[in-house]
Amino acid sequence: MGKLLFLIGIILFPFLNRTEAQTGTITGTVTDSKDGTPLQGVTVRVKGGGTVITAFDGSFTIRNAKPEVSIDYTFVGYSSKTVKAKPGSVLKIDMETDAKALSEIVVTGVGVATSKKKLGISVESVTAEKLPAAPTASVDQALIGKIAGAQISSTNGSPGAKTNILLRGVNTLNRGTSPMILLDGMEVGATDLNSLDLSGVERIEVVQGAASATIYGAQGANGVIQLFSKKGKPGKISIDFSSSASSNTLLNIGNLHKSAFHSFATNANNDVVNAAGVPLVLDPIILAYKDAAPINLIDTGAMQNKPYNRNLQYVDHFKMFLQTAYTTNNSIAVSGARDKIDFNISASDNRQNSNFKGNGDYSRSNLLTNIGIELSKNLKFRSITQLVYTKNTQVDQSGRTMFFSLNNSRPFANYNLNDSLGNHGIYYGDVVGVNSSNPNFRTQYTNYKNVKIDVVQSFNLNYKPVKFVELDAKYGLNYQTQDVVQNILPQDNNANAAYKKSWRSNYFSPAAPENTGEIDNYRYRTTFQNILGTATFRTDFKNDFNINIPLQTTTQVSFDYRKNMYNELITWGADAPSFRPYTASQMITFKTASDYTEPFITYGYLVNQRFEIGEYAGISAGLRSDYSSAFGLGSKPFTFPRGDAYLRLSSFNFWSDSRVHDIVPEFKLRAAYGQAGIQPKPFDRYVTLNTQGFGNNVAFVYPTTSSNPNLDVEVSKEFEIGTDIALNVLKGAWFKTINLSATYWNRTTDNAIYNVDVAPSSGLGALKSNAFGLGAKGLQASLNVNVLSSKDLTWNFTTNFSKETSVIRSVVGSQIVVTSSAGSSNYVLKAGDKVGQLYGYMMIHSLEEKDPNGVDFIAKANQGNYTIASNGWVVNKVTKQPFVSAGQYALGDPNPKFNMSFINDFSYKGFFNISMQWDWINGSNLYNQTKEWMYRDGIHGDYANPLTIDGQTGAYTAFYRGVYAQVTANGTKNYFLEDASFGRLRNLSVALDIARLVKIPGFRKLQLILSGRNLVTFTKYTGMDPEVSSGTSNSAFDRGVDHNTIPNIKSYQVGINLGF
Amino acid sequence: MLLIISTVSIISCKKQLDVNNPNQPTPESAKSEAGIISLSQGSIYRNGFRDLKFSDGVYGSFWSGAIGFHEMMGDVVQAEAANAYINQIGTPDKVMLDNGTVLLNPNSPNTFKAMLRQVNTNANQGGNFVFYEWAYMYAMLHGANSILSIVNDVNYTSEAEVKKATVKAWAYFWKGYAYARIGSIYYAGLIINSPAETNGNYFTKEQIIAESNSNFDKAAASLASITNTAGYNDILGKIIPSFTQIGKGTLPTPDMWKRMMNTLKARNILVNTTTATMTAAQWNSIFTLTNSGILTTDKVFTSRSNATSDLLSASDGTVTSRAQGASATAASYKLTERYVQEFKTGDKRYTNNIRQSAVWIGNSDRGNSFNTRFTLINGGSGLANVVVYANVAVGGQELMIAGQYEENDLMKAEALINTNQVDAGLAIIDAVRTSQGAGLTAVSGTGLTLVQAKEELRRERRVTLAFIGLSFYDARRWGVINLLSEGGGRKGAIEIAPTTGVVNTNATFEYGYLDYWDVPDTELAYNSPVTGSAPVKNPK
Repeated sequence: MGKLLFLIGIILFPFLNRTEAQTGTITGTVTDSKDGTPLQGVTVRVKGGGTVITAFDGSFTIRNAKPEVSIDYTFVGYSSKTVKAKPGSVLKIDMETDAKALSEIVVTGVGVATSKKKLGISVESVTAEKLPAAPTASVDQALIGKIAGAQISSTNGSPGAKTNILLRGVNTLNRGTSPMILLDGMEVGATDLNSLDLSGVERIEVVQGAASATIYGAQGANGVIQLFSKKGKPGKISIDFSSSASSNTLLNIGNLHKSAFHSFATNANNDVVNAAGVPLVLDPIILAYKDAAPINLIDTGAMQNKPYNRNLQYVDHFKMFLQTAYTTNNSIAVSGARDKIDFNISASDNRQNSNFKGNGDYSRSNLLTNIGIELSKNLKFRSITQLVYTKNTQVDQSGRTMFFSLNNSRPFANYNLNDSLGNHGIYYGDVVGVNSSNPNFRTQYTNYKNVKIDVVQSFNLNYKPVKFVELDAKYGLNYQTQDVVQNILPQDNNANAAYKKSWRSNYFSPAAPENTGEIDNYRYRTTFQNILGTATFRTDFKNDFNINIPLQTTTQVSFDYRKNMYNELITWGADAPSFRPYTASQMITFKTASDYTEPFITYGYLVNQRFEIGEYAGISAGLRSDYSSAFGLGSKPFTFPRGDAYLRLSSFNFWSDSRVHDIVPEFKLRAAYGQAGIQPKPFDRYVTLNTQGFGNNVAFVYPTTSSNPNLDVEVSKEFEIGTDIALNVLKGAWFKTINLSATYWNRTTDNAIYNVDVAPSSGLGALKSNAFGLGAKGLQASLNVNVLSSKDLTWNFTTNFSKETSVIRSVVGSQIVVTSSAGSSNYVLKAGDKVGQLYGYMMIHSLEEKDPNGVDFIAKANQGNYTIASNGWVVNKVTKQPFVSAGQYALGDPNPKFNMSFINDFSYKGFFNISMQWDWINGSNLYNQTKEWMYRDGIHGDYANPLTIDGQTGAYTAFYRGVYAQVTANGTKNYFLEDASFGRLRNLSVALDIARLVKIPGFRKLQLILSGRNLVTFTKYTGMDPEVSSGTSNSAFDRGVDHNTIPNIKSYQVGINLGF
Repeated sequence: MLLIISTVSIISCKKQLDVNNPNQPTPESAKSEAGIISLSQGSIYRNGFRDLKFSDGVYGSFWSGAIGFHEMMGDVVQAEAANAYINQIGTPDKVMLDNGTVLLNPNSPNTFKAMLRQVNTNANQGGNFVFYEWAYMYAMLHGANSILSIVNDVNYTSEAEVKKATVKAWAYFWKGYAYARIGSIYYAGLIINSPAETNGNYFTKEQIIAESNSNFDKAAASLASITNTAGYNDILGKIIPSFTQIGKGTLPTPDMWKRMMNTLKARNILVNTTTATMTAAQWNSIFTLTNSGILTTDKVFTSRSNATSDLLSASDGTVTSRAQGASATAASYKLTERYVQEFKTGDKRYTNNIRQSAVWIGNSDRGNSFNTRFTLINGGSGLANVVVYANVAVGGQELMIAGQYEENDLMKAEALINTNQVDAGLAIIDAVRTSQGAGLTAVSGTGLTLVQAKEELRRERRVTLAFIGLSFYDARRWGVINLLSEGGGRKGAIEIAPTTGVVNTNATFEYGYLDYWDVPDTELAYNSPVTGSAPVKNPK
């Protein structure tokens, strides 16, 4: 690190010589009152003549000033100020940020930097200081709860896991819900959001739908998250260093545990016995129970009430495998600006280990440079580079496979045992559970290394040749190389694996122990390039043409070219040789599993015209037209329109002259409409044959899902209407200002693409089709309250609100059935239903309960055979098993009815800060597939819960087993669809800046931070964490299943931030 | 200026849009000699036996899954795992133990028919076991129809007519094969003659079998036109995967191939008629067909594993590979007591293939008749010249996929026994046993009664023709699957009692299985029957 600083110093030295100040006129600098940062671009207007703009270092010079002048300072986002001065004065002007928000400038969704006061669309923004330093140090985790209208969920607690991001409902099924990511105006097409450096981010803007995002083309239909990198600021060079460490434990909110009791057959001593009555023993040589122990969970008399206290002893598998994990974060940034150059160079490093014993580690290092150079007057060049190195050695990347095998092991298997050679066993026998396996075996025999290198580079040239015109050219290169090596070690001498004939392998199926050992190499390359040329023409009728009409126009014309090239090469070698060491090239069998290239090109132009009528109103309209390689040569471009308008009622005289203005100084109405085309995936329209190596020939095979040359583009149409209001409630320190923004939106997607099942007799499995019409609507709102702003204490409160619902308006055929990628659970996509509705069998609470068609679930004549058990479910009096419907029904929508966050920030004299964020997800459901599987073999802790059936009380296994097995073993049932609403203390942090408390020479900042994440959760969900989801990351519909997912972590973090 | 730049850019970019899919061939690629060989290979072996939109490793693809379901209903293997209801496919409705205790099917619903009807819904997707055989065979038909649709357009490098005739025979043969399997398990089927198309006109199973025979006839006619076998050997030698061309899998001559079809046509009659209703004419037809069916020395179509599992996985690609292991715990398919009890005392095939271990009892709430003491011995126990059932070494197991000599001759034997030529039939049984190295005393010439002869035949078929998808056909035509009240079921069966592990030797089984499955709902959901269609649901 020292070397790096030295190097940076050498490079920057020539630019840092101070220049002489001028005298004889009025000079000065304008800075931000908060932290003394120089402000560039402030309008300095001398009353009675002359206007200048502050330079990059906040300086200005007024020549030939009159003896006594009054000078106005105005700057967007800051309260205007008027100060009197005399010639020769050297002024130091502090400007305060305008507490009445809406003065903020945003660019996302509008193309041209615009004050929030003059926006016809809703743009959410959050600045870096409002983003919590989550232990993952990732942007997506930090954004949770910060964006009104967004549902960002942390769905898996494994290090490196992605979040699910849903901006304003479901738009497409084919493409998932992931929004487009922009970094400083360029699309990040290859790098994951969670790889980008949080500490290098200055601010984040989010636009959420076609009305605003269509200017980014098809890829913007799911909304856009734009990150802005930190820039160097004028003044002394600042050096910022921060370091933190956290300790993380997995949440287990619902107290998931295994039953401490069993219902195996036992002898008089409570030894669990085999069919012949002989106590079960673990064979120490093969590490397996050779015998089965009779068990009949549906025996009406069977109860789970025998302790594991003899030959089988209870083992707490969670204690055995789940550990406290640790995270460290370090970052250093050097930044500054002088003359015509600004720079920010930062490096950061994040390290986490898995909470699952032996599973491996995750680390990420980022190096960021942001350098701006003013090449000549009106010509600026900027280069922003981010290099990311990510290394993930987790043997089980999502953790779910190991967690499944552990959760389905009966709790007497001591998985820490070794055989005489020191090896672990893979499978301890059926008596432990047929879906059990020992995670230690996996970690012993597998080495996994997943290394990613990301380069995110953008160059920007901005030129203002003449007054009206601004030309801007950007080139972005985003390259990702990912290499994964999975080395499965030979298991030749493992007695247990030989006995069970079960080995770890991936592509290869070993037939004998000597055939084990496999090395898989995965190589992925993504090169994404983006060229964006924009010309902006601005006119102001009053100032430019001396026409007394308060009209300003902005015309934007852009050409946008994007090219993505994806390559993958997967090779494997199996059947390791007998000698050591060896490499994949010495394997007996080897094969190239995949050699695949996916080029994708899209380009087009954007025209957008904007008119502003003074401070009163504005209107804009435009269109975007794109070609796409998904449609091949000779295809027509797809063209989509957009438009927006706003009206600031508060700027009219009737308002500003009235007393209303004192209370409601800002009141704006806005509306926007846009369409975006979502293109099919690159090869969705190209019909091909698969190939299959067949000994010495390569055979042609029909794909089970057929491409469709007639596929059309999906069209998303969105309308939004909203308001932005500022209120001055009280005059004193309390409730000075309140800002409220609210937006109602409604959108539809036509021609949504999906793989639609076809009749098997056609010889095909499914055909890609424009199958769905989707509809979504919702409301988003954010409220900022300046609760208290006294001299010493400030208290700001923010609440964000999101409500959305996404439905299927139409579908080809009657319904489309989908199984969760998490396995087992059924979704049905059907017209009139919510997207992501779970379907399954019904258990009921009353004997007379009727199905949706009004028919008794239990025929009247049979109702006498049933009773309501003490837990509220209808059960058969004789079998003690629950009633389960024969048919399947819509069980419920997993998506929340709404989600909210409540954020409080307290600051005492600027040196002591407390911030707290509560998240509330209301009305969500989660299918507890983890529990269902643990019901299978009598493993779940519920089995020990007694219940009363028809007057008899006991921990009847028949009930619990019946829940799993009645009608369909492991079938989707309403019993397992649980209320997953939760309230969570997402973040709590306490920070003390000693450098602000006492002056320490050289220190700008010396802040100590204690923080906690996910410290408290309130929920009725009985699994480990109501926030998880096991489905495909960012799937449009597969969002409601918890199938042995690693829960989120509860973290305690200590950190220090130093500024020099 | 910008407009000019944009226009130039757009024009220069336009060529880049022509990406196609650089990774894979297009259907056009099949229209060369090499192309049609690749298509003939992949669309039959992979689409027909292996690749489907649903899959599950617990039962695997066609030769372990779809065929495994037959063997479960044939009470040769069973499973405890519940994937696609395989624990229930083989669970009889009722078992009466030696002491009179009645065990009902512990699953819900607890009869096979009710279970099948509940499972057979489109929403069940891959869990619907009724789907698989249908989908594999229609994918095979799609492959065969695709081959036929371009066979005349291909530029053959030489001997065009011979090669064309060979490829046509190949396609018609597999059409005949696919219709045979559809018509032998589903109550109704569809006749499809163009690729990627279907229609809603369902035919009865009898009509589907007729269609099977008609395609076999077309294949035979095409083979009859071949006079020069060089072109035939050249193209067929490339279509049949190189690694299967050993042992019985070496290239058959056109005549051998025709004999395979005679065997399969005999099977079409035999397995689709209950023994009780067989007419003399039918027995005669079977005799005639099998007389010109597969000979003991004939080469036939086989399948085999290779290291990269292109056709079959060595470790679990077949029913037998899933039923072998050190103990029943280690085998995902449990070899049933009822199968093992069919071996006659002293049968070397037993010694060579069957391993007895301690009693294994599965979860009693999932079934009862999967409890067993037996597994298959991987690679056999080493007896010379005795057939080996399971071999998980790469390439170790030769699977005859379209008929074999033993089946042909046992059909012939059955025809003879049932047409008053008992001893001639028994002599064939002896020959089959000898060919397998059974080492059993000859039964011909020992004066067995008709009933005794039929029992010899039954046991021999059960033993020899297990694991390849014929066991359920036999159980059906012999009436074993029917209710006891209908004269069905099985008496004197071995059954290991759940929980206690007591070996019962005189149990009575009532299977209650459906003889022909309903058309899968996975089909009906997308292809409703048109007016005039045959019923798609078995009225039973």
